Amino acid sequence: MENAQAYLFYVFAALAVICAIMVVANPFSRSPVTSAMFLVLTMGCLAGLFTLLHAFFLAAVQILVYAGAVMVLFLFVIMLLDLKEEQRRQVKSLSLVAGLVSVGAILAIFVRSLIATKPGEGALANVEGSTSKLGKLLFTQYLLPFEIVSVLLLVAMVGVVLLSKKDLK
Amino acid sequence: MNVLILKHEITLLLLALGVMLADLWLPPERKRGLGYLASAGVGAILICSLLTSVPESPFAFRQMYVLDGMALFFKRFFLVATILVLLMAVEFSDRIQAGISEYYSLILFASAGMMFAASANDFALLFVALELITVTFYVLVSFQRGRATSLEAGVKYLIIGALSSAFMVFGIAFIFGTSGSFNFGDIAAKLASPEAGLVNNKLFLFGLLFLLVGLGFKIAAVPFQIWAPDVYQGAPTPTTAFLAVGSKAAGMVLLMRVLFVAVPEVTAQWWKLLVVISALTILYGNLCALPQTNIKRLLGYSSISHAGYLLLGIAAATTAGQSAVLYYLSGYLFTVLAAFVVIVLVLRDTGAEEISSLAGLHQRSPLLAAAMTISMVSLAGIPPLAGFFGKLLLIKSALVVGAEHQSFYWLVGIAVVGVVISLAYYLGVVRAIYWGGEAAEKSAVTLSLPATLTVAACLVGILFIGIYPNPLMKAAEAAVLSFK
Repeated sequence: MENAQAYLFYVFAALAVICAIMVVANPFSRSPVTSAMFLVLTMGCLAGLFTLLHAFFLAAVQILVYAGAVMVLFLFVIMLLDLKEEQRRQVKSLSLVAGLVSVGAILAIFVRSLIATKPGEGALANVEGSTSKLGKLLFTQYLLPFEIVSVLLLVAMVGVVLLSKKDLK
Repeated sequence: MNVLILKHEITLLLLALGVMLADLWLPPERKRGLGYLASAGVGAILICSLLTSVPESPFAFRQMYVLDGMALFFKRFFLVATILVLLMAVEFSDRIQAGISEYYSLILFASAGMMFAASANDFALLFVALELITVTFYVLVSFQRGRATSLEAGVKYLIIGALSSAFMVFGIAFIFGTSGSFNFGDIAAKLASPEAGLVNNKLFLFGLLFLLVGLGFKIAAVPFQIWAPDVYQGAPTPTTAFLAVGSKAAGMVLLMRVLFVAVPEVTAQWWKLLVVISALTILYGNLCALPQTNIKRLLGYSSISHAGYLLLGIAAATTAGQSAVLYYLSGYLFTVLAAFVVIVLVLRDTGAEEISSLAGLHQRSPLLAAAMTISMVSLAGIPPLAGFFGKLLLIKSALVVGAEHQSFYWLVGIAVVGVVISLAYYLGVVRAIYWGGEAAEKSAVTLSLPATLTVAACLVGILFIGIYPNPLMKAAEAAVLSFK
């Protein structure tokens, strides 16, 4: 059982990384729709990882909200905009080099710190993932940030209405 | 648990909602005046905060929220900034086509986010408060949606802001994963106990590094400064002013709290990193400001360099350095707001933002010309104004540390070079005002009474802080004591 979990973790993790790379650097297709579809796959793999961590609620939300609602919105936007130009656009070699160097540097720091850390070092956070536990946490321990997020959503809503309203009156 | 400890934030949020609701019933021509009402409301909250002292048990919400001397100092700071920015927004309202009441209330929401940031004692609250500020600013920056530059600034701020938030959340995940807690106090206790081994846990340090990326973006420190000039130039001027003062100060207070409350042991090891970032930020900001011709872009680069000076005090990691940061920020508040108020008032008719369009301002309005001059001179750091004492205190705190770490002498040297470079472009603005040739527009600038009062308040602030530095210095020192 333990083994199966470990294998599943590696499968999901590897798939998530591969799909994420395909989102930004797909060698076969430059179509934004393909990228979006790979993003859906990445979200799915992340949901799998959450499930392995017994965070079932997060896994469900990941699928419902991100892979579902947010991605549908993405696809709508992609289809409404004319992105033919995006497909023809050439990546400048300078920005490619700059991007690779910075990603490489971050990766190098990350891998080195990962190697320097012994597995299991540091306190393992006691995380509960079930919906009722999460709900209780949100309304006790994390009540204040939870309430501030409601203000944040209000601000976002006002902003969206203001910026997308048709007539400026 | 005492909810009343949050009374300032709650009243501010209620005020923001009230302004938004009032929009429903007010006739369009009276909406502009809502800004006066909002700033009066914020003024009342400011008076209330001045009467508040640090409660006996400063924590609330399971130590997530703290109302110590530092938090109170910054709350007052943000309230003063909000009042002045709101008054500025009233003067700016003719250039906002629609939704002026929403503009006021978004400023109030951003201010509430800053107040929460001032009291954050927990990474969850830190992140949420920062997001509230940042998301509000996405809207505030792109508010003039008829102007392409404003939209461009909004998109740039959105993309880079989202990226830095992603970095920060990634970092917080690592901090939580390795320390098992979000709370600054818990993490500090774990760091202090050697058996937990957190100080040498590289993944913890990695998370912390990524957190610094997010905060570095807020204060526009090199190498996360890339957004600042474009966004400062494109955003509506009151937004730019609030971004320069409020958003930067929110980043600074969080940076100080994380570095000195949550992870003091790591900060003691990382002084080299802070020194390098500080030096690069000072040099980058000042050198890039030199060739600028757009006044808002110039202030954008200058704000980068000021972030560098502030980091100098943080790198020193002493109480003197910390109180110097508070003093410097307070001086910067009045100085920068004075400059932006003048920009709002003078460039109303022309719409241009070139430095050359300030020419002949001393004939059109001696008060505004004097305000701009004093503000520029104070930014450059010439005695006896607020900017001078701030820089003096920062450099003094760095020199004291220099006895221990030689590289601080280099940093002080770079700071002084930066000040000398900055003289060139700040005085360039002054020259454009008095010796810039004939004004294209001869008519006198008409000032409403509130506008005059705003300018006067900024000027009094600059002069008072500069000439009588003692009260503010005492307040800053008292605020810093809460970190002990």
